Amino acid sequence: MLIVNELHDDSGHEEQGHPERPDRTRAVMDGVAELGLGSDLEFATSRVATRAELTRVHEGAYLDELEVFCYEGGGDIDQDTYATFGSWRIAQYAAGGGLAVIEQLRARGEGVGLVVTRPPGHHALRDRAMGFCLLNNVAVAAASLTALGERVLIVDWDVHHGNGTQTIFWNDPNVLYVSTHEWPLFPGSGTPHEIGGIEALGKTVNIPLPPGATGDVVRRSIEQVAEPVIDEFAPTWVLVSAGFDAHRDDPLASLALSSGDFGALAKKVGTFAPGSGRLALFLEGGYDLRALRTSVASTLSALLGGDYAADATTNGGPGSEHVVKASQDRLSALRLAHEVAVHEERAQ
Amino acid sequence: MKPIQTVVVGFDGSADAEAAVRWALSLARQIDVAVVLVHAVGLLEPTRHPNIVAELESATRRLTTECGVESSRVRLDVVDGDACSVLLRCAEEPLRASLLVVGSRGVGAHAGLLLGSTSLELAEHSTIPLVVVPNVEPVVD
Repeated sequence: MLIVNELHDDSGHEEQGHPERPDRTRAVMDGVAELGLGSDLEFATSRVATRAELTRVHEGAYLDELEVFCYEGGGDIDQDTYATFGSWRIAQYAAGGGLAVIEQLRARGEGVGLVVTRPPGHHALRDRAMGFCLLNNVAVAAASLTALGERVLIVDWDVHHGNGTQTIFWNDPNVLYVSTHEWPLFPGSGTPHEIGGIEALGKTVNIPLPPGATGDVVRRSIEQVAEPVIDEFAPTWVLVSAGFDAHRDDPLASLALSSGDFGALAKKVGTFAPGSGRLALFLEGGYDLRALRTSVASTLSALLGGDYAADATTNGGPGSEHVVKASQDRLSALRLAHEVAVHEERAQ
Repeated sequence: MKPIQTVVVGFDGSADAEAAVRWALSLARQIDVAVVLVHAVGLLEPTRHPNIVAELESATRRLTTECGVESSRVRLDVVDGDACSVLLRCAEEPLRASLLVVGSRGVGAHAGLLLGSTSLELAEHSTIPLVVVPNVEPVVD
């Protein structure tokens, strides 16, 4: 069973020539359609995220400012990020789409969720838009779950580090944030030394990978660096910041994954969910429409037990040594943080 | 107050940023400081402006010469990220800048709103002094 949010009209959030465009959600839904799910596809009624739901992760002043900015006509927020007159409402629906899917998963107690909304969210900070992102959709959803006492794993396989999500949950021990991403690349954060704040040491796991890294390297990085941490954390929910811009055809980055790699990756990540009805994927990046469509189909097919004929998985690219180093650097950072904590405790 | 050692200037190649660079270089002529021009590489830049780093390097050399500062005290750093985050990080290791300098409006910015204004965002969040340089002809007494 796949549960997808009812698509809200996002055509009002568009800037000529910008790769983050309405065609992306259509490509994702084409990928869903390729699976021919029939009655195994269900839609969650779309809704906006309320102010109370948004202020769990965003500052009220920022929300006010964004709303006014849009209603005054919008424009470029930074060198990458735009908003239009319609963007505020569309962003509210983007954040609400994740909440609607999670509510339906909870009500049914089974299935996989797919949140097909835009603009994407994982770069959005508490008080600032950036990197095409206005509201942090996956963070809004994760915060709604931790408010219910859940322990949430966020796996972010978008090619860019999700600095917004990391920052928002930096000190939250109930959220484990795991990111694989290309390095060096925008936004310039996401080193293995970033392990979480004092209240949540070890609850941030970053695995930067070099240009050209193939699917086997990404899977190995999850298995070797993240999986032991995930096992210890024992999540009750798994949310995926599912960007598909690590695909080899994506115009904005240089990792070398195929559509089949996303299926293999999804299969692995799916094992982290404690049971059915506790896994949801959120659309982040992915700017080549064919790659987006086939990667989405491959991902969902792997999670739902389908037989979609995706491109073959890839291997042999660079990055094995980066996986080892990420593990070592992370351990060094944890040891250092522990020594500092002991030192401060003795000093008191 | 700590002595000013390193001045960081946000540099995106715009006329407003050039005004900020000129101001920083004129400061460097008066006191012994290093000037680091910092260019933030956004998500779109590698595809939209693939040659911008070469252009900025050339502009850096030109401005350094025009302002009469030794080239050994001026350099260009190219850093991944949005302009605001990148410039805020300059206060930390390894740069440990003592002063940030930006133009009053960057590319694509909107006057009068915090959203879309790197200088106003920096004014709110910077932990080190910030100079915002207007791009106007200097007033002659």
